[in-house]
Amino acid sequence: MAAVLAAALCGSIPAGAVLGEYANSIPLDQQHLRAQLHETVRQGYTVQRLKSPDGRIVREYVSPAGVVFGISWTGPTMPDLRQLLGSYFGQLQQVAQSRQPHRGPLIVKSKDFVLESGGHMRSFHGSAYVPSLLPKGISPEVIR
Amino acid sequence: MKRWVGWRKKLIFFALLPAVCIGLTTCGGGGSSSSSSSPPPPVSNSQPIEVDLGPANNYVNGLFTSVTVCAPGTSNCQTIPDVLVDTGSEGLRLLSSAVTLSLPAETDGNSNDLQECMSFADGSYLWGPVATADVQLAGEKASSVPIQIVSANPSYAVPSQCTSGGGSNENTVASLGANGILGIGNFRHDCGTACTSSSTAPALYYLCPNSVCGAVTVGLTAQVQNPVWLFSRDNNGVLISLPSVSATGAPTVAGTLIFGIGTQSDNALGSAVIYTTDSSGNFQATYNGIAYSNSYIDSGSNALYFLDHNTLGIPDCSDNPGWYCPSSTVSYTVTNTGLNGATGPVSFNIANADSLFSSNGGNNAAFNDLGGDSGTSTSSDYFDFGIPFFYGRNVFVGINGQPGPNGSVGPYWAY
Repeated sequence: MAAVLAAALCGSIPAGAVLGEYANSIPLDQQHLRAQLHETVRQGYTVQRLKSPDGRIVREYVSPAGVVFGISWTGPTMPDLRQLLGSYFGQLQQVAQSRQPHRGPLIVKSKDFVLESGGHMRSFHGSAYVPSLLPKGISPEVIR
Repeated sequence: MKRWVGWRKKLIFFALLPAVCIGLTTCGGGGSSSSSSSPPPPVSNSQPIEVDLGPANNYVNGLFTSVTVCAPGTSNCQTIPDVLVDTGSEGLRLLSSAVTLSLPAETDGNSNDLQECMSFADGSYLWGPVATADVQLAGEKASSVPIQIVSANPSYAVPSQCTSGGGSNENTVASLGANGILGIGNFRHDCGTACTSSSTAPALYYLCPNSVCGAVTVGLTAQVQNPVWLFSRDNNGVLISLPSVSATGAPTVAGTLIFGIGTQSDNALGSAVIYTTDSSGNFQATYNGIAYSNSYIDSGSNALYFLDHNTLGIPDCSDNPGWYCPSSTVSYTVTNTGLNGATGPVSFNIANADSLFSSNGGNNAAFNDLGGDSGTSTSSDYFDFGIPFFYGRNVFVGINGQPGPNGSVGPYWAY
């Protein structure tokens, strides 16, 4: 019987900025991810980049009106999509839980919500956006 | 009671023919047996694998094999069929419903069982305790390997972090489509050094004192891990060998899983080229002048998932979004480049997925031309070379830190 060397990790999960909502709670995401926050202003939108010590990077794409219109993630493990997607999480659940058994990327495409989640153990990545919230003239290609 | 009798039969079988049959997965199938008076054959480093519809009878391009687990240090063993062969993960994970053997749990100093939540990109997850077993594959044996037992009836409520991918708890044959997953990818451990430090550990392992589960760090030796690197020999990787299939598919495809690379006469690299990967197992695939650096080979992916239908200019299936449905078969050539600079083309076809699924009355399981979206736009795209890539090839999987032929060290692919 092998003994497990274990130490409890930080466990609190405050609510944070979510897709489709105002970005003013991004500092809470920063706290949740124990992350470094880096902001980049681009033509027509802002990118808030959160990098946590375990290598996870979450980017939140914020419109001039302050609304998160897209997110992307990359890292060794899956991010907390319930928190990041907010009210759109239900659409993800619906598609993810109705799949016939197989392994591969997950693609969700509806009129008001687009998500792709792919990769494998040690290397997960994906993105999600709300087409109707894209700032004028901004392509979803910027969400990467 | 019936289950118990079955287990007992297996135990007796193994006890009677240890030199001939330990670890040979075909032994459990009740086929003809060799005479016990003949000299024992050399220990085998290969075992059968098969693409078929799997135990739920609905898996497309699922590669399955049998795995024998034993209570550590004993001859109390059980051979479990229909385990998915996955080079995209590390470690053996078995549905609790498939395991009748009693295996010791991994515990902390306070007798709390170590639990794991294994998440997949499609949002699904596996939740259950870590147990220790001797793992036998062909004639190879890894002793006291931490494996995950996926709970049909979890002792503890699934932590919210575990369900945050949005998918299902795949703790039944119906939801997993297999009796378990045999993770024999490019790495030794399922998490590695990240899980050993509280500053970097993801929420992967848990302890649940007083039925409240919290994420914990776990040392390397206690982590669920690739059994292959724990073999006493043939431990630097595996070779997956599958024959070609026709363009319309096949109901079954039989192949061979061979342990070791360049260690025996049956696993020489030959003309295969080594493509080393980054520390995550990825390499670069270039198509139409664009390099996609998060690309990978994965026997656990059941199709060629690459780019998106807009970038490719072919339609998704209307009834099966995410699968490609070109009106006629399309050919592609991609250039793969390893971290070591090795480069070479890969050519494949993509057929209409709807036509493939309905071919042969829907009874075909193996397709070399099944494809789907990996992303939604060029910025999120990559190439996931799933099972279709393996047909008609010898594909070597080199494990990190394990020396291979010609001075090579994993992680790498060779084909």
